[in-house]
Amino acid sequence: MASRPTVSIRAASGEASGSLPLPAVLTAPIRLDVVAQVHKSIAKNKRQAYAVSVKAGHQTSAESWGTGRAVARIPRVGGGGTHRSGQAAFGNMCRGGRMFAPNRTWRKWHVKVNQNQRRFATVSALAASALPSLVLARGHRIEQIEEVPLVISSAAESFKKTKEAVALLQGLNAYTDVIKVSNSRKLRAGRGKSRNRRHRQRRGPLVVYNEDNGIVKAFRNLPGVEIVNVRRLNLLQLAPGGHLGRFVIWTEGAFGLLDEVFGTFDKASTFKKDYVLPTAKISNPDVTRLINSEEIQSVVRPAGQKIQKRPWTQKKNPLRNKAVLFRLNPYAKTLRRQEIPCTVKQERLKAKGGVKKVKVAAAGETFLKTLHAP
Amino acid sequence: MSTDLQWLLLRKNNSFIVKRLSEGPIFSREPANLTNVHSHKFSGLANSKTIAVVDSPTGVKIVTRKPNASPTSVSKAYATTVIRPRSGGRRAAGVAAGIAKRGYRPDLRAAAISRVSALVAAQKEPKASPPKKVRGSKKQL
Repeated sequence: MASRPTVSIRAASGEASGSLPLPAVLTAPIRLDVVAQVHKSIAKNKRQAYAVSVKAGHQTSAESWGTGRAVARIPRVGGGGTHRSGQAAFGNMCRGGRMFAPNRTWRKWHVKVNQNQRRFATVSALAASALPSLVLARGHRIEQIEEVPLVISSAAESFKKTKEAVALLQGLNAYTDVIKVSNSRKLRAGRGKSRNRRHRQRRGPLVVYNEDNGIVKAFRNLPGVEIVNVRRLNLLQLAPGGHLGRFVIWTEGAFGLLDEVFGTFDKASTFKKDYVLPTAKISNPDVTRLINSEEIQSVVRPAGQKIQKRPWTQKKNPLRNKAVLFRLNPYAKTLRRQEIPCTVKQERLKAKGGVKKVKVAAAGETFLKTLHAP
Repeated sequence: MSTDLQWLLLRKNNSFIVKRLSEGPIFSREPANLTNVHSHKFSGLANSKTIAVVDSPTGVKIVTRKPNASPTSVSKAYATTVIRPRSGGRRAAGVAAGIAKRGYRPDLRAAAISRVSALVAAQKEPKASPPKKVRGSKKQL
């Protein structure tokens, strides 16, 4: 077996200084559907209850007028002297009435997701964050960085100043992703503006650390950058919007701890009880490699002659073209033959040379003698 | 990771996809997509070998992914060839065709050549239109 792939650790200037083996989590199976579904449910767990007032639309003494007044039997506001009197009330179709099926605070706001599914989704999202093409596909500006996954030396964990953090990102050529976020900041459409969600912006890199010696404060003021401890990795941050491939910057300590946090394919995690990484359904998803493999090529039949079919041939009219007609309706041939009159048939036969007459030999003399014998 | 699986993961949604018409073609804004069509063959992300033809002030750049590059490397995995400006259409097309000739993505030969020649043609300064001739008796005036 080939040696385990390694990932180099980068100093602040960007050059490699040592390496670490690739943790097993980053080779876990990637399931787009699981991540999307789990994210959809988990994202609901942060919601706060909201409802309309229970009294809304019912703060009137309206009563139905009953039948006989040539108006609908909906409750109507009594009294006089104001426009409101005589108007319909309560119903969801009424002006000033209650809404249909009023929102209640006891709606099911949270969705339970099984722990193993949550872990599967997190592991999938982590594995996706280690593939450059998926990180690019999510829209992160990582074209200039050296490597994905990007691991920085543990010195960064003791950064105190944002200035240092910016210098680090610039050294790694990862600062373009922060600039992208900064340029993307837009005023939110709708009421969210007045609900503490004034702006919306892209997501930048996710910085994962092992020990906070100031790294959180150093990075937290950079737009779009999120900082998280390895032990508390979260699907909402690893796959925002349920889309795989967040750009993750690991510190050396965090990267080294991944095998302990998530375990490997054959060793259980030390942080999660009895947790072993999920195994992929097929070990080699490379279709071309499978087709060209010795095992498959040895059992397939050899390729035959290449049949080049014309994509669009001229359409023939089967009522005029006999060959096409007989292909469509084999019985037409017999029908046609029966339609030909006898005389024509005989003429054709004659033209061919006619039916050969069988010469009838005359009966022999001895035969006749015995026949006519008295 | 196999490119087949990567294609399945980014086929449905990615940041480069362009779907304008509900029943129309699906395009892609990937820089390494020669025809801008969203398909596995032309994808600039879900292929181990890709050709990107981009315009730059120093001339048309052809960026290819190195065949032996590690799947984890990003910036170092690409090699760039520059077609100097005013090289002429024939030479530019020859450079583009040379990649396929060396056995690197021969299936993209036609797409690469057409993209290069389109860029080269666009760089050409348009000929000044001839001065307008005046007709008839206005000539004398």
